[in-house]
Amino acid sequence: MTFRIRHLAALALATIAAFGMLLASPASADSPAGRAPRAATCEGPGIRAQVNDQSNGEKKPIEGVKITVNDEGGAEVVTGNTDATGRVLLCVPEKATYTVTLDESTLKEGQALDGEATVTIDGAKFTTNTRTINFFTGAAVRETDGYWTLLVKAIVNGFRLGIVIAICSVGLSLIFGTTGLTNFAHGELVTFGGIVANLLSVTLGINFLLSAVIAVFLGGLLGVGLDAGLWAPLRKRGVGLVSQMVVSVGLGIFLINLYLMRFGGSTKRFTAYNQQTAMKWGPIEITARDLTTTIISLVVLIGVALLLQKSRLGKATRAVSDNVDLASSTGIDSAKIIRIVWFLGAALAALGGIVRGLDEGVRADMGGSLLFLMFAGITLGGLGSAYGALVGGFVIGMFVEVSTIGIPIFPDLPFLGWIKNGVPTELKNVPALAALILILMIRPQGILGRKERVG
Amino acid sequence: MDWGLIVDLTLKAFLGLDAVYYIVAALGMNVQFGYAGLLNFGQAAFMAAGAYGLGMSVSYFGYSWWLGLLIGGIYAAVLALIVGVPTLRLRADYLAIVTIAMAEMIRLIVRSVTHKDKFGGTDGLKGFAKGFQDLNPFEQGTVYGIGPFQASSTVVTVLLLLFYGALSFGIGYAVARKRKAANRTQVTLVAGVVMLGITLLITSRVNYLGAELWVLLVGWVLVAIFSLFVYMLMRSPWGRVIKGIREDEEAVRSLGKNVFGYKMSALIIGAVLGMFSGVLFALKNSNVQPDNYSRAVTFYIMTALVLGGLATVTGSIVGPMLFWALLAFTDVFLSEVSDAQGRVEIFGIELLKDSSARGQFRLGMVGLGLILLMVFRPQGIFGNRKEMALDGR
Repeated sequence: MTFRIRHLAALALATIAAFGMLLASPASADSPAGRAPRAATCEGPGIRAQVNDQSNGEKKPIEGVKITVNDEGGAEVVTGNTDATGRVLLCVPEKATYTVTLDESTLKEGQALDGEATVTIDGAKFTTNTRTINFFTGAAVRETDGYWTLLVKAIVNGFRLGIVIAICSVGLSLIFGTTGLTNFAHGELVTFGGIVANLLSVTLGINFLLSAVIAVFLGGLLGVGLDAGLWAPLRKRGVGLVSQMVVSVGLGIFLINLYLMRFGGSTKRFTAYNQQTAMKWGPIEITARDLTTTIISLVVLIGVALLLQKSRLGKATRAVSDNVDLASSTGIDSAKIIRIVWFLGAALAALGGIVRGLDEGVRADMGGSLLFLMFAGITLGGLGSAYGALVGGFVIGMFVEVSTIGIPIFPDLPFLGWIKNGVPTELKNVPALAALILILMIRPQGILGRKERVG
Repeated sequence: MDWGLIVDLTLKAFLGLDAVYYIVAALGMNVQFGYAGLLNFGQAAFMAAGAYGLGMSVSYFGYSWWLGLLIGGIYAAVLALIVGVPTLRLRADYLAIVTIAMAEMIRLIVRSVTHKDKFGGTDGLKGFAKGFQDLNPFEQGTVYGIGPFQASSTVVTVLLLLFYGALSFGIGYAVARKRKAANRTQVTLVAGVVMLGITLLITSRVNYLGAELWVLLVGWVLVAIFSLFVYMLMRSPWGRVIKGIREDEEAVRSLGKNVFGYKMSALIIGAVLGMFSGVLFALKNSNVQPDNYSRAVTFYIMTALVLGGLATVTGSIVGPMLFWALLAFTDVFLSEVSDAQGRVEIFGIELLKDSSARGQFRLGMVGLGLILLMVFRPQGIFGNRKEMALDGR
């Protein structure tokens, strides 16, 4: 008995430690921490140039672009390079007419300037002390790339998104399988990984890889802590599964608002490895960072599959998934298995959050928006089946990205323009969500699920 | 700290429009979840259906106001059919997943740049509320008190007194019946007098702008109609079958009832109530904005419903009122104790770092509140614990 109490106390401490990371985070986390500080303001008037890449529908600053300011006569006044935030502040002697020129040769390969490289500032309209000029690259990429190149790119992106969804959904599916809980707060476990890794590596300046390992571990601890502190007592009290689902909704609301309070509502990027040029093999382009994360994720996924298939632990997990009572009567400690599943599932979710965060930046609601795709994935694969989650998550991720590329030979039919032209990027999650409804109509048990699970 | 302000704003929220549109949506979710056991996590989608059905009909197609309402209702019912057909034969969690996914899908589409010409993107739709505002009997810009003694003419005072009196003694009678008191008249009188006192105290402190008061009046009338409707419905044979399905689906099926059909009608009734809620909210703001219909809204309504008590009409009315009163209280209280930058420190620990953190703090507490309610008092304030024996169907 004393052992159990000590055990629970340790788990409670683990949760507090996991949360403590978040609570102890400096409250000023909202300031662009880790980024190079803004250049000091000019004493007189100044021109701020901002260079951003928007090819993925999202602004990414470009560093090291040369910006030159010339006066009306064409003489060079001042020149400078953009910093990590894509900005450069150039001080000018007076509010007069200038031309601002971006040196296109300093752009990286594959970044095409969208619009004119030279912008003229009219002296009569130079009213504020600092004028801001925006340059964008990348909007024109779509037209320049051929269909097959775009398709390959989409497949590469889909591969990466698919792996992230698969990693995140394994936990969701295993938790469902072993405890029956549909955890609507699973997305927040994904966010947890991204946020903790970001706080450790960017705000506290710890080595990125070390931060990632710590974040994954803390994510796992959070999972175990939540199970010990919340879900296990609920199961013990005999709280119904529907009520537990509503509790998970409450937990999700609580966590996301906690993140917003401590971490702010903006997107924060990792500073490590974000200035890499893509490697090319034919039409395939991928940065070393993305290749590495993809390989690591793939190895982890295969590891999880092997663990479930081969090890005693995996067999026990599947047994508990199948039938808790039967598993318990054969001597499996199902409570222990459930704890392990929570640790594993939450740690994998945290890993997914870090991988996704490297790609898209970390936001307080990043996990919440992935949750829908995870649901689509595990429904496709079959609720409760871990392999189903792997396969289904992967297929859904691939589907989301590839659906943005249409089938050009498809006839031009009304209402089916998306099939011909591809889904607009901002709506790329919509077909996956529609697929979720369709799957339930056609084959509710999913690809790998068994029929008796559903009824 | 200005306690007068805190009390006034809390009471205003207690009776205000936010509470009203939550009540209508909560009544709908109560029919689905409380009575029929159907977990709809996409009520926001049905609200959006009403709001966009009205807004699109009037400002995009140029139809009349009433046709817009009808179209919104049809749209909500069709959505309910679409989500219901594949999921109602399956376990409860499938409906939850599909409704939440559908709500997100609709929100993504209406806020997209691609369809900005039709749905107005993130700016939403405007200019559809004119037909409604033209009917407004109140002066738009005038502040009206709702207490009987704040009224300008004696006739209004008498009418308001009669109304509040009838309401108070009605509640007193309901209390007496519920308690099964032997001396029913006495209990009715005592409870009625107490209620009347509370009502007069509350209403004397609350006032609204004419424009708002009109929506509020219509809203409360709708609440009265729908509450009566749900109350009668659940006492009818139909309601008994629905509650039977929640308790034991197989038993009801073995009695020869078409369980699927009953579930589907419950889902559609809830959806249409949700649509009215969306319309009220759109009229309140005179615009429709996609981000007002995010999944968080559904969850907050769910919390308000659980707070009041599932499977009771009283719960769906009082729950949202208390929910908004608590939110308003927390907001005003925190803003009163915070410094000029909106920072709040308690025992040297920084609770809030700026004024935007106040909203997040409040909503975080909503989440915590939902957990605690479900764990320790799943029947809420008015519910019956026996009716909350929901399991994982």
